[in-house]
Amino acid sequence: MAELKSLLGAAMTILGVLLFIYTFFYVATTKGAVGVKGQVTADPIIGTVGFLLILAGPALWFGEVPVNIKKLVEAKTGRKV
Amino acid sequence: MYVFIVFVIVLAAYFAAYYLYGKRVLEQKVVKADPNRLTPAVEKFDGIDYVPANKYVLYGHHFASIAGAGPIIGPATAMVWGWGLPLLWVLFGNVFIGAVHDYLSMMASVRHGGVSIMSVSENVMGRKARYIFLAYVWFALVLVLAAFNSVASSVFVGTPTAATLSLIYMPLALIFGLLVYRAGLRVSYATVITLILIVLAAAYSLSYPTYLTYEAWVVILTIYSFIAAALPVWYLLQPRDYLNAYLLWAFVGIAVVTSVLTLDLALQGPIMTKFAVSGAVIGALPGTTPAKMDIAYFWPVIPLVIACGALSGFHSVVASGTTSKQLANELDALFVGFGAMLAEGAVASLAVILPIAVAWNFAGLETATGFPVLNALTKAGINTTAIKEIIKLPAADRFTNGYGLAAATAFSRVLGPSPFIDLFLGFKTFAAWALSAFVLTTLDTANRLARFAWKEMFDWLEKRNRPAYKALTNRWIASAIPPLLAFVMAYPKVEVIVPETGAKLTVYAYSILWASFSGTNQLLAALALLTAALWVYFVLGIRGRIAWLILVPALFLWLTVTSALVLWLVFIMPYLPLLYQLGAGTIIIISLILDFMLIGLFISAFRRK
Repeated sequence: MAELKSLLGAAMTILGVLLFIYTFFYVATTKGAVGVKGQVTADPIIGTVGFLLILAGPALWFGEVPVNIKKLVEAKTGRKV
Repeated sequence: MYVFIVFVIVLAAYFAAYYLYGKRVLEQKVVKADPNRLTPAVEKFDGIDYVPANKYVLYGHHFASIAGAGPIIGPATAMVWGWGLPLLWVLFGNVFIGAVHDYLSMMASVRHGGVSIMSVSENVMGRKARYIFLAYVWFALVLVLAAFNSVASSVFVGTPTAATLSLIYMPLALIFGLLVYRAGLRVSYATVITLILIVLAAAYSLSYPTYLTYEAWVVILTIYSFIAAALPVWYLLQPRDYLNAYLLWAFVGIAVVTSVLTLDLALQGPIMTKFAVSGAVIGALPGTTPAKMDIAYFWPVIPLVIACGALSGFHSVVASGTTSKQLANELDALFVGFGAMLAEGAVASLAVILPIAVAWNFAGLETATGFPVLNALTKAGINTTAIKEIIKLPAADRFTNGYGLAAATAFSRVLGPSPFIDLFLGFKTFAAWALSAFVLTTLDTANRLARFAWKEMFDWLEKRNRPAYKALTNRWIASAIPPLLAFVMAYPKVEVIVPETGAKLTVYAYSILWASFSGTNQLLAALALLTAALWVYFVLGIRGRIAWLILVPALFLWLTVTSALVLWLVFIMPYLPLLYQLGAGTIIIISLILDFMLIGLFISAFRRK
């Protein structure tokens, strides 16, 4: 289960980064803007989907508890987290 | 009056407040903070909400979360009374109410396992008070979510480069979190790396706007606030808020340097216009009777106008919500809770009130400094023939133009007069950025806090039906309900008719309820401070002058806010459109009923014990 979660997180992160770079660096620099004023177009939607995937992906990929905080808590409380 | 005198008074007040009142009285005599006592962040560590944080990172989170648009828009609006009265309220409210309220809420929560101040009230006012309080706060947070979702969406439509910057900024904050918590990089190194990337991103964003419609942004921000509130705090919230605080520090730092460079400058604005001003300042609609009458008396209505810069109930929810669950050491609490509130007061007094007072009369400022003030304003699109004083501008524009003019004046004294106009336009844009940067922070913090309140509200279910409790308080479900409700309020538009003038207004649905927010928020502050005062009195056993030093401001605040709400009900509400009366009016009436119930419980707790 943990492995599957991590795999899904990795896929989400990689896809998110690709969509994000495509929109905010490729589309933005070639077209001068992302999207068209007053309209809903594909480019900004792709970019924001990438943004949301980047937000959620790494948390699943790397797991939720950072090791160094875990160590600090274990040292302070004397119990295994 | 000169900048010098106001500057010295403000700095002296804050230093004295921090060391003499905060450190010596509250930390050492009242709370008796102990660095060896385990905090909930350590004791109840779960890696998601209970996570000990570096003192400076936590300060950044707390500061950025409590500093929304409030410390800026409120004081800018209150300038209709002149600069003296708002400044006095900011200093008094900040030191004796706001900072005490924030610090004690945080410490009360820390000593009760990290639960909210609403749940702490059970120990001093009974179980009934606790659930009333929790429901009240949960609903207020949903309203905050709706309003901030709408404001952020409007900002992104109006300033599309801000949208690009915000979308690039979040992943950078995430990189900071991963560098510190995953890669184990020192906070200082990670800060330098990320700040450089943010400066580059800001420069890049200026050239590449992101366009979407208001409705599309509302949908995206709803999804964002859901995801961001459910993610572990160390992952996005801590790093993002910590980095945001640098922006705010830069903003305050420029205000301080501006004051130092203009110490000899006379304030153009009046110390006081009059004690009672138009009802428009507390929500009367244009053209209606209360808008034409001077019924907004400085006391008691001032807390409805100035919130975060002086005191705000929302702070107690943050202090006893996200912040208390991340406090690594009790000794950090004064710096984080008390210190952040004083810094917010400094934002209100030095970055908003003082610059507006300096730039009050445009022609006067030009004569006093010799810089092309009128030309600069014309270049920014302001008709200086029609608008001669800053007070004629809307509140947000008073702030951006006042900040821009004061800072440009100060730096032109060093650099010479030629870059004055460019400096003005640059500082004005920076001020607008600072204002919008904190809206997103509040958006997902409010949702996370709503989740905490939701979970505490259903704790009675845990013993009766554990599976139902677990399903209902599941992190993802509890994070989804508030933004969905907020979406329903932020997305649609409604048309209302002003009864007195017959004018038709098209407003977003949440506006119907939003008029009640300042009142309910400040009522929450009064109730949170009363709870904290009771906690100090009964649980910590503090008696004598120190106890009165906390109790008297708490009772004064309760009296002030209650009087202000009664005034609003009598003078403003009857002239509002029917939907407003049914929405905001009903909420204020319900709030006042709850308010009297809770003060009754407060008095009976006193008598009983």
